[in-house]
Amino acid sequence: MSMPSLPLFLSQLFNGLATGLLLSLISAGLTIIYGTLGVLNLAHGALFMVGAYAGFLALQWTGSFVLAIIGGMIGALVVGLLMERVIVRYYYQRPPEDQILVTFGIGIVITELVRLVFGGIAKPVPVPSWGQGITKLGSLIYPTYRIEMMAIIAVALLGLYVLLYRTRIGMIVRAGIEDSLMVNMLGINVYRVFLLVFGVGAMTAGFAGILNAPILAVTPDMGESFLVMSFVVIVIGGVGSFPGAIVGGIIAGEIISLTSMFSSAYSHVMLFAIMAVLLAVRPQGLFGIEGRE
Amino acid sequence: MILRTLARYSGGRPWVAELITLVVLLLCPVVLPLFGVTADIASRILIWGLFGLGFDILFGYTGLLSFGQAAFFGTGGFVSAFLLTQTGLQNDVFLGLVIGTVAAMAAGVVVGFFTLRRSGIYFAMITLAFAEMFHFLELSPLSQWTGGENGLTGVPMPIVGLESWHIQISSGWSLYGYIAAFFFVGYVVAHRIVLSPFGQVLTALRDNTPRALATGHSVRKYKLAAFVIAAGYGGLAGGLLGVLQSYMPPDAVAFHTSGQLVMQSIIGGAGTLFGPLVGAALWLGLQNYLQDVPAIASAWMLILGVVFVVLITLFRQGILGAVKQLFTKSASPSEPHESELTVELTRRQHIAGVPDEHPNQDEIPDHYLRADTPAKTRGLIIVPKGESADGAALACRNLTKHYGGIYANEGIDMSIPEGQLRGIIGPNGAGKSTFFKMLAGEVVPTEGHVFLHGADITGLGVTAVSQLGMSKSYQINELFSKLTVAQNLAIPVLARLRGEFRPDMLRSLDKVAGLHGQIEATLELVNLEQRADVPVTELAYGEKRRLEIGLALANAPNVLLLDEPLAGMSPRERADTVQLLKQIRAGRTLVVVEHDMDAMFELAEYISVLQEGRLLAEGTPEEIKNDQRVQDAYLGGMEEV
Amino acid sequence: MTDDNDQKKQKGGMHRRDFLKLGAGVAGGLVFSGGLGRLAQAADYAPIGNYPAGIKGSSVFMGIAVPRTGPYSAQGEDEIKGYLLAIDHINKGSSLAKAYAPTLRKGVLGKKIEYGIADNQTKPNVAVQAISKFISDNKAMMITGSVSSAVAIAAGKLCDRERTIYLPAITGSNATTGKDCQRYSFRACHFAYTSAKALAPVIKNAIGPGKKVAYLTPDYTYGHSVYNSMKEFTEAQGWSTVNNQLPPLGTSDFSTYLLNIANSGADVLVNICFGRDAVISTKQAKQFGLLDKMTLVMPYMAPFFADEVGSELLQGVYGTTEFWWTLAEKNPMAKEFVADFEKANGRKPGWSAHIAFLQTMLWARAVEDAHTFHPPTVVGQYEKGNTIATDIGDVHWRAGDHQLVRPVYVIRGKKPSDMRNKADYYDIVEAVPGKDVMPPLTQFGCKLGPVS
Repeated sequence: MSMPSLPLFLSQLFNGLATGLLLSLISAGLTIIYGTLGVLNLAHGALFMVGAYAGFLALQWTGSFVLAIIGGMIGALVVGLLMERVIVRYYYQRPPEDQILVTFGIGIVITELVRLVFGGIAKPVPVPSWGQGITKLGSLIYPTYRIEMMAIIAVALLGLYVLLYRTRIGMIVRAGIEDSLMVNMLGINVYRVFLLVFGVGAMTAGFAGILNAPILAVTPDMGESFLVMSFVVIVIGGVGSFPGAIVGGIIAGEIISLTSMFSSAYSHVMLFAIMAVLLAVRPQGLFGIEGRE
Repeated sequence: MILRTLARYSGGRPWVAELITLVVLLLCPVVLPLFGVTADIASRILIWGLFGLGFDILFGYTGLLSFGQAAFFGTGGFVSAFLLTQTGLQNDVFLGLVIGTVAAMAAGVVVGFFTLRRSGIYFAMITLAFAEMFHFLELSPLSQWTGGENGLTGVPMPIVGLESWHIQISSGWSLYGYIAAFFFVGYVVAHRIVLSPFGQVLTALRDNTPRALATGHSVRKYKLAAFVIAAGYGGLAGGLLGVLQSYMPPDAVAFHTSGQLVMQSIIGGAGTLFGPLVGAALWLGLQNYLQDVPAIASAWMLILGVVFVVLITLFRQGILGAVKQLFTKSASPSEPHESELTVELTRRQHIAGVPDEHPNQDEIPDHYLRADTPAKTRGLIIVPKGESADGAALACRNLTKHYGGIYANEGIDMSIPEGQLRGIIGPNGAGKSTFFKMLAGEVVPTEGHVFLHGADITGLGVTAVSQLGMSKSYQINELFSKLTVAQNLAIPVLARLRGEFRPDMLRSLDKVAGLHGQIEATLELVNLEQRADVPVTELAYGEKRRLEIGLALANAPNVLLLDEPLAGMSPRERADTVQLLKQIRAGRTLVVVEHDMDAMFELAEYISVLQEGRLLAEGTPEEIKNDQRVQDAYLGGMEEV
Repeated sequence: MTDDNDQKKQKGGMHRRDFLKLGAGVAGGLVFSGGLGRLAQAADYAPIGNYPAGIKGSSVFMGIAVPRTGPYSAQGEDEIKGYLLAIDHINKGSSLAKAYAPTLRKGVLGKKIEYGIADNQTKPNVAVQAISKFISDNKAMMITGSVSSAVAIAAGKLCDRERTIYLPAITGSNATTGKDCQRYSFRACHFAYTSAKALAPVIKNAIGPGKKVAYLTPDYTYGHSVYNSMKEFTEAQGWSTVNNQLPPLGTSDFSTYLLNIANSGADVLVNICFGRDAVISTKQAKQFGLLDKMTLVMPYMAPFFADEVGSELLQGVYGTTEFWWTLAEKNPMAKEFVADFEKANGRKPGWSAHIAFLQTMLWARAVEDAHTFHPPTVVGQYEKGNTIATDIGDVHWRAGDHQLVRPVYVIRGKKPSDMRNKADYYDIVEAVPGKDVMPPLTQFGCKLGPVS
């Protein structure tokens, strides 16, 4: 394959940023939950999907995409909270493998329930009216909605950052990531914090789901591929690290985009290969702390 | 007695279980059709069971949850299928299967190298990612060899026998027989592995990885070995699937294959070897039965998911585990009953120097009080490999450790001669534990060196240090909580007798020469002979402390480090432990860190005092008692002692 | 003696000889009507596959394995509806069934069709398991159903081994009647080669000569099949291939591939993706502005693509399909099929339902014409290649590769304003006759195995 042209390179670079930001958002939710609760939520992809379906329903009822986004967030939040209250909270004392297993099972149950209720045909979520059309950035032609999505995600990530680093509750959450027992002994109901964190993580996934719905088909399996990719992002960025999720996500998005210029078939495998190399060289990831599991 | 203990854990005479398995396998073709079970289903269940044997060794026994076993199932399956369909190997199905298994094990080595660098959840995630990579490789770049998403068709049926006389296996019960033969052999091998010394180490590894490491086992190598074993079983199962269907499907490498294996194993019961088989029977049975009921046909996966979640929540040990629990009188190995919170709090109280309550104050058994055992044997003591110029058993020079700008220890020089009992004391925050950890090899010093019998052991790590003859007993008990007392002691002894790694997977525990003798000797030394068969969870606190010391002793060390051996003990227990320490002195060098001044001054020949990370003073107990600097350091605490 | 007999005959009584003649007549009549077929068959053929065990009773079992979960579940469910409709017609002995198989009464050779439906989850392994069960437990005489070629090929190999007829529904890869052809499998739908050959001249006329083509090819053998065929025919008519992007199966974000295509200077975008991938990639192509500067061509359109993508995106898009419901306006058999389907299911049939229906009818015809269920004889009947009247006109089977010679429909998306009702997505631009598009027998390396 010949060397790519500059316009192509720039457009792929830009596109990688877009893909990457979405991955960052999804991985941020996953990493916060893992960092604070120590639970790797294998149902995260299912929550992403629930957000898309909840948003689809809200869109059907109200016709407004903004309400659909809110609907998606609420839907995922509700399912996430239910998950935590009914099952996951009994697992905090259990070994980590049990936590993965139960969230894995819950993910399957959620996916199959959605399939049973909504069927397997893709649900259409059209691009909202304010996102229609194409924007020209120099030589690059790019869908307007994707650019808006990038902006929305950047704002959401900023909001998460503010929540984590500039509020009291965020400080508690970050302390909880460091040492949840200590937080408990300081008189703060750490289980309520866990619930909050789980809810925020679920809401983040749902938000990403409905936001992304106009771009892909809304089906019960839509979350699965994102789940695996977010694992890779977390491994690259460092588990439990919020900045790691952001940087890792963007790097992952760029790797996929730029590799596709040379060989479109290998773009995803390149991501895995780089993860493998990083594991060999710096197992804790870019921002991870050595010795933390 | 020990034989009995170990034997009971290992399930009696091993060949009994194997014989029963053989009989059941032979009876299936007669019995199963009565229940409407076809040969095809039975064969599939066996293939999943075989796959699960390896997975159970990896997860059930070693505690490594891998979500990527499909990678090896696929590797073995496709290598076999490729050889049997595209090369001239058509007639030798057995050879094809063997090569496929070997290929899967090779893949296991490569993948294990990358994935085993992490553990726990991280490990699970990474195995998943690797399996996805294999899946992609199978579908796309390697599709000329694997058939891409079409898979490989035309895998031949095996022919069993020799030139002159042979049977052509065909689909149906004869193929079942072929597969059952592999399963039986696979089971026997897995059973032996689990009962072998190798298998014991795996169990210990799962129970308490840091202690297994400190006892002298190369955890990394054992994990890799278990991983490769699981890969091998997966590869063989994959090859057999190709033969069963005359077709090797691409979705053998898909994530759902790994997921199905995990779910089946949990449902059936991990750590039982037969759990995955039972889980597979349930899964395939449900899948078939539910599909025939039109109302819920498309919901069978949902039902299975719900069953899985319910089982993990309520019956974590799975079906077989629950059955086993019903039949065993003693408490089964289950999760520790104390909540993690309480255990953690206890640990922190110790660090803070606050003595906790003796949990079983009212129930101290009689034999505990016998502190005058004439020690017939003192157990093995390994002969030191070298000798230092100045006769020091353990020495350090300029030992320094800082974390960022904070110095835990600075510039400590110390030399402990052979045979001495050295005490190390100091006020809180003096840096005793960090110093001790550096001596033991748990922490790498920022500057300085540690010498064991003249050899520089800086940075070698606890396993190598343990093999060289230095052991440590911990302030907080680091026991193998799911094993009995004797089984606990077996672990360090196995490290001593077999080195840091020995793949003696088919050896029987009884055949390890010297195992029983060393365990007996250690039990006597720490007064736990009567409690040899008792599970650790049922021990009194003081007994646990003695076992803790015993674990360090069982390694046959010539240098023994003891971190607050008297922590949390009642006055009576303290007195007994002091006696114990005096007894085990003979032939060994002891270094003891303690807060209890009375005990320290009684025991130690020579004392080093640390303060604020540095060596404050050294001398005999008398000298130290009267040293002004030491008194000031403790802020007058000396007067009251 | 003879005087007595003559006397008895004149009185109208029954003689032994007459009785025998009558008996022979009755027996012969029964044989011809198939009622005693079993007796006749048992006398003629040795057991093979599920014969004669599968037809011992008054029914015959048909195993249906389709995806009911996963990315092709919509097409799978539609296939089921087609099968059920066909079974209903056959079991009732309806006029439509008789139009396909004139000798048919109620059921096939008098045997009612019983069926089982299994979810193959679009996974070859699961399909193989389900089919094994149908064959061994239910003694199925015919197995059918597929959406993915991988599944169809795997199922075909298994059924061939078990000497059971297998009729795939949707399978687009050239290999199904090419290097993976099976003696016991028969494909009735169009496929990569026939679609490409039918489509190429039409788009050349519509879009113009000398165009540059970019391909979005899903990276598996079906995709490569269609790509190779399209490339062959477009280049033969003077178009040039400027780019080929290979997204893996199941890709959800095609942005990187679409950007590469956007920068390639192509005039035509050929999207080979199928099912859900087709829907997503087309929507995203629109979002990236590709559809504004390139014409979209979908050489192998999936059923329900139109419903999932919407008429806005579909206008002016060229593609091929196996069946479209407006054929009811031209063909009375098609009209009855569409009307019955709509009555039973409340919507128009996709081509997934149609191919299911068609395959079942053609099988009934083959068995009726063969007067037996004996697998090798039925196979032989197919291979005779007689002309059969169907709702898509006259068709016949080609013995060399077991492919049905049948028309391929080239369609074009309508402008939303031209749609007469909400299902009226396409114009049928051309119905290309089967004989014009069939590949040479040697092209894809089909070597049929032995029949027993």
